[in-house]
Amino acid sequence: MNKYNPPRMNPSSLRSRFATRFLRSLSKINAKKPTASSSSPTEIFRRYRRIKVAADKSMAYSVRSRRTWSRAMLWKLRTRPCCRRSVKTSTIVRKTRHEKQNKNTTTTTGEDGVVFGVEADELRELVPGGEAMDLYNLLDETAHYIKCLTTQVQVMKKIADFYSP
Amino acid sequence: MESNAGTTEPRSNLTASDGAQVTALESLHFTDEIHRLISAPVTDSSTSFMALLELPPPQAVELLHSSDSPKLLATSSPNVEDFKGSFHFPSNTGLIERDARFSGEANNSNGKRNSPEPKDLSANPEKAVKSEPAETESSQPLVSDPALEKRSIKRKDRENKVKGSTKKSKTAANESSEDAEKLPYVHVRARRGQATDSHSLAERARREKINARMKLLQELVPGCNKISGTALVLDEIINHAQSLQQQVEFLSMRLAAVNPRIDVNLDSILTSESGSLMDSNLPSLVMPVMWPEVQGNGHRQQYLHQWHVDALHQPVWGREEVCNNYITPENSLLTYDSSTNSETLHANQLKMEL
Repeated sequence: MNKYNPPRMNPSSLRSRFATRFLRSLSKINAKKPTASSSSPTEIFRRYRRIKVAADKSMAYSVRSRRTWSRAMLWKLRTRPCCRRSVKTSTIVRKTRHEKQNKNTTTTTGEDGVVFGVEADELRELVPGGEAMDLYNLLDETAHYIKCLTTQVQVMKKIADFYSP
Repeated sequence: MESNAGTTEPRSNLTASDGAQVTALESLHFTDEIHRLISAPVTDSSTSFMALLELPPPQAVELLHSSDSPKLLATSSPNVEDFKGSFHFPSNTGLIERDARFSGEANNSNGKRNSPEPKDLSANPEKAVKSEPAETESSQPLVSDPALEKRSIKRKDRENKVKGSTKKSKTAANESSEDAEKLPYVHVRARRGQATDSHSLAERARREKINARMKLLQELVPGCNKISGTALVLDEIINHAQSLQQQVEFLSMRLAAVNPRIDVNLDSILTSESGSLMDSNLPSLVMPVMWPEVQGNGHRQQYLHQWHVDALHQPVWGREEVCNNYITPENSLLTYDSSTNSETLHANQLKMEL
């Protein structure tokens, strides 16, 4: 009888590195909680924050320091004040693009004559560490960041599906 | 190279005076130059010849070499010996006889010498060169014509040399600039009619790098291929990145809410994860017993108020709330099985949302 061996994935790919790290941190998070108050909304909220931080951190660690955005994200995660969550800052308030256009009239006119306007600023806000980059590097970092985000979403989706079939 | 360049001058003097009349003195001077020429490139004939091909000024030298090209191409010594032997004719006839000799040798030698010869010569952008092999292969009376052609070609080359790199870039007409993706140096050729000063060149290189990156991003983000215009593409990219970040938040919320009671090995999870990631098959190794633990309606409402979620989020939680009201958090397989229906329903709804 032949045993079915599932095809092994590349052990050093971004996906596997992120998956191992994230699963480890997830088990740590879930291990430390007391079972009693685990269902309270505050507790769930707290766990949500920790899981989100764990996801970002494990993704940034999987990329190491090869990318500017990962370095910026790690730095941000390390130096953020370890305060208890304040409700207002929990979610990212996303301004609409119209508001932004009315608010600041600074336009990024690249030297190449292409006016990118508000989009470059928005990209800079999206990508961690994007404030200090010129346009070419910003696009580079955005591409890598989007690729890493997609792997993150896929892995987390698989984990979530695994845990709640 | 310098010897080659240096020999253009005396040769130009030589031919400028009178192509037909070569005095003995000048021919001796000529032979000295040729000696130097021959001694240098014989050792590395191929490289010097190829290097000659790249530079426009020594094309004139090339032309002379073209008459000697059987020697260069074949790298065989007997040609050299014959060539050197021909130097000792200190007269006008030296040139003629040299041409005749090499034409004879070209005819006598292998066919392969003849075929590379016109091939290499046709590689030169100078059109006059193409007539060269025909004339070397013909007999003597056409010495003046090659000489005249050489003179005109040398004049052109001198003009090219004088006008500098901008002329060179323009004569390399209609060559598009290379993609600067993989090269450490950006080699950019100026197109016809475009400015070639360093600023605009650098800007053009930078612009093309940025356009290449934009193309890459367009491929990465689904649905961006049809959009034209950089601003709209950037908008799409920004939207996509924002949606991905939102999905990460959703999923971490979901993971927090699912609250696994993990009794399993991390290794088994990892192997199953790798398996599932590859095949998207849910493994049946271990069935961890878990479900979201909910207390009641009231708490859920508090959730919704606390988090300032958009309208998009609320339906998700609303549905989950509705489903989970039917679940009693018990730790037995029976309840797990009975709750699978609502679980699957809730999971499917979440999947749809995502």
